[in-house]
Amino acid sequence: MVDVIKNTQIHCTYGCKSSKAVQPDVAGKMISKAKRPLFIVGSQILKDEELLKRSIEIAKKADLPVAATGHSMSGLVDQGINAKYINVHALATYLCDPNWTGLDGNGQYDTIVVLGHFKYYIDQVLSGLKSFSKIKSIAIEREYIQNATMSFGNITPAVHIEALDELIENL
Amino acid sequence: MSELTTGKFSMAISDLENVQITINNIVGAIEKEADEIDVEMGPTVKPGVSSLRDWDHNILDRYNPVYTPMCDQCCYCTFGPCDLSGNKEGACGINLEGHNAREFMLRVITGAAAHSGHGRHLLHHLIGLYGKDHPLDVGATNIIAPNVQLVTGVSPKTLGDLDSVLSYVEEQITQLLAAVHVGQEGAAIDFESKALHGGMIDHVGMEISDIAQISCLDFPKSDEEAPLADIGMGCLDSSKPTLIVIGHNVAAVTDIIDYMEDKGLNDKIELGGLCCTALDMTRYKTGDRTLPRAKVVGTLAKELKTIRSGIPDVIIVDEQCIRADVLKEASKLMIPVITTNDKVMYGLKDRSNDSIEDILEDLTTGKEKGALMFDYEKLGELAPRLTMMMSEIRKQKGIKRLPTDEELKELADSCVHCLKCEVACPNSLPISEAMTALSEGDLSNFELLHDKCIACGRCEYACPKDIDIVNVIEKSSQRVISEEVGKVRVGRGPISDPEIREEGVNLVLGTTPGIVALVGCSNYPDGTKDLFTIADEMLRRSYIVVVSGCSAMDLGMYKGEDGMTLYEKYPSRFKSGGLLNTGSCVSNAHITGAVIKVASIFAQKNISGNYEEIADYTLNRVGAVGVAWGAYSQKAASIGTGCSRLGIPVILGPHGSKYRRALIAKPYEEEKWKVYDARNGSEMQIPAAPDYLLTTAETVEEMMPMLAKSCIRPSDNNMGRMIKLTHYIELSQKYLGIMPEDWHKFVRTETDLPLAKREKLLKILEKEHGWEIDWKRKKILSGPAMKSDVSAQPTNLKRLCKEA
Repeated sequence: MVDVIKNTQIHCTYGCKSSKAVQPDVAGKMISKAKRPLFIVGSQILKDEELLKRSIEIAKKADLPVAATGHSMSGLVDQGINAKYINVHALATYLCDPNWTGLDGNGQYDTIVVLGHFKYYIDQVLSGLKSFSKIKSIAIEREYIQNATMSFGNITPAVHIEALDELIENL
Repeated sequence: MSELTTGKFSMAISDLENVQITINNIVGAIEKEADEIDVEMGPTVKPGVSSLRDWDHNILDRYNPVYTPMCDQCCYCTFGPCDLSGNKEGACGINLEGHNAREFMLRVITGAAAHSGHGRHLLHHLIGLYGKDHPLDVGATNIIAPNVQLVTGVSPKTLGDLDSVLSYVEEQITQLLAAVHVGQEGAAIDFESKALHGGMIDHVGMEISDIAQISCLDFPKSDEEAPLADIGMGCLDSSKPTLIVIGHNVAAVTDIIDYMEDKGLNDKIELGGLCCTALDMTRYKTGDRTLPRAKVVGTLAKELKTIRSGIPDVIIVDEQCIRADVLKEASKLMIPVITTNDKVMYGLKDRSNDSIEDILEDLTTGKEKGALMFDYEKLGELAPRLTMMMSEIRKQKGIKRLPTDEELKELADSCVHCLKCEVACPNSLPISEAMTALSEGDLSNFELLHDKCIACGRCEYACPKDIDIVNVIEKSSQRVISEEVGKVRVGRGPISDPEIREEGVNLVLGTTPGIVALVGCSNYPDGTKDLFTIADEMLRRSYIVVVSGCSAMDLGMYKGEDGMTLYEKYPSRFKSGGLLNTGSCVSNAHITGAVIKVASIFAQKNISGNYEEIADYTLNRVGAVGVAWGAYSQKAASIGTGCSRLGIPVILGPHGSKYRRALIAKPYEEEKWKVYDARNGSEMQIPAAPDYLLTTAETVEEMMPMLAKSCIRPSDNNMGRMIKLTHYIELSQKYLGIMPEDWHKFVRTETDLPLAKREKLLKILEKEHGWEIDWKRKKILSGPAMKSDVSAQPTNLKRLCKEA
């Protein structure tokens, strides 16, 4: 078992609420338990084959609908997963709207999982959700995302891949 | 007492002694002048804070403020800090939404104040030199100041006319700032309205600044053939004495250029600039298309690197985007710093009244690290002389600049790979990996990082081994830096009336697919090349690309396969496929100015005190989109917010999310996508584009199709819609690998469909969307949510409708 919650130092700690550090097995179980989950996959997965592979694996194994943000869609087409392109800032706006019916028209989501984003960008985007919605967010990035509900810590790329494998095992 | 009107006062005074006549504002002058020349004044001449509130609420109803706070506390007063998380209320009663709206407004008026403060300084300086009666001349236009005229009703003719308009700007900023005080406003939406007011005011302030300097300093005047200037860290000849100017206000520099010319020093001293002063230095005295007197080194991201390179022998700073540690950094390398503006004084002694010889003595001996100098004539002589002397002294002393090759290796070896630098890095750059490579003698990782590094220096503070990481990056990238040589078109100033007359119709009908304005600063997510990529793509597709400020610089750093920069390749004319650099940061006003002129010249609209009507026209008919890909400053927030109020959507890079407020619409709220048809007041459905007024994109690839979609307007004719839809579909396929999900929502009739793909698309419409197609005539029988009616007059304003 890898330990990913050792180093949770962040460069700015102001604000009252910051995310709980979470281990991969717990994150995996939480994702599996969610009633209306959405997997938000950012463009940074395209910079690493291994990351892209695991993103697809997570979506497949947990049968998660995927919101492909940035240009991540170009790596997710024809992969046998249910992915749709959407701008992440717009998505976060809709996620705060109880009347939004989701990417599939079946209703608002209760849990989102984020992977493959710029740290500073997803952190800002999630800050809106943290303050203005009840949605639970799980960040499985290689950086600590303070505005998520739960997050991995700051880890190396190698440990990150190991952590995602462990998460996949627990789905 | 006789009655006076603007510009009509003359009297002969003879044989009078010790008589002073002071004329302040002439009350009612605008209205009186308007009566005389038969200009119809709109309902909001010189609008106050609440005058355009209805318009703001109108657009905010569709484009909702989206808050992404960086901090859930408020610490504005001594009640606090208050925990506002979860949108709780603080001790004064404000909630997180309201507080964030207030903070955003503060950001906007900080930016507006920076521009108009700059304008006030410049105007004061220029009136001192040229007098209040100096005529304004910005080239071939009857509308000298479209923003000023639209907002205030004033058509300025002289420098003096700008003075009173600037007083109006200053009053509005003061009133807005007053609203920040604890208590008072509780409704986020009214802070939003105030922010929009501040943004609009900013464009007035910027316009004043730029037309004043264009008129006095022999800048290019709406010139399509303004010369090209050298740009890049590699373009400096470091063997010569080097004088570097950093900032935004050219007032202090013109005397230096004049002195150098007088004394024949142009070939002896390298004069380079960083940030917008650099752009304005290249505009100085190039109205006749002669070669610029200065070189552009680059943007704020190059400031620390330029200082650390040790190349500058003297640094002059003026105002705005200047690092706060210039003096500290420069002193380490024995580079004297001269501050010239009360916004930046670095604690230096005011030497304005001292003799040049005394100052030279103190600075060359190192007795003082720098000097504060408000006397620009004196500065004109001091700076070049000091540069020549310091060059010799610094050479003799053998000032140590960057680490040697051996030291570089030692630094890399001392890295313990704790990753603290990467956590501190605003772009999370992979520094640790690059250190490992460097230890093995491989510079390539750092060479790649150089362009993505904004040289902020946060990594150095985080490093437990005290490695000067910025120096390591810079030293490792010497080869790349020496190749950083490009060309930038000198800022041409406003768009001329003949250009608008020719192109206006194409823009409103959509046959020119849109204006893409690349503006703002240099905080890019993935290096400077993104700008080239965007402009290259959009120019090939015949969009009009307008640039300004730092974006205009970085765009010139790259060459295409043909070995040319885009400035050399595309004409600097406001027409389909044209690439125009309007100039520095304050020249952004010419971009909104061009849009206002489209309404005036093409649509024959009055543009005096009727802001709401023109903003409504822009939102519904002019396909323009702004891109501030590397926006970091408060000024960028105010420029963008001015665009929001005028109905021009703006996309920011991912760092733009840190402005903490966006304006995003919900395409699924169908009732929000209806406007009136001004012919009869009936409601008409419009497509959900633009679906934001201010938002962010993650990558350039994502932004490409967003740009095409953002230019779609209800007024497009079939040919126009077809062209825009073609680009939207093609860009989405090229960069995302898919057909856009919502493409069919922009189709009103078969003639809106891209010609080459018409049959295929009709099949998709029938099969996937259930539309009825008459296959014999290849016509759509039913399906589209809106009708195609090119003579419809879409408006958000019921009062403008005939039958209303």
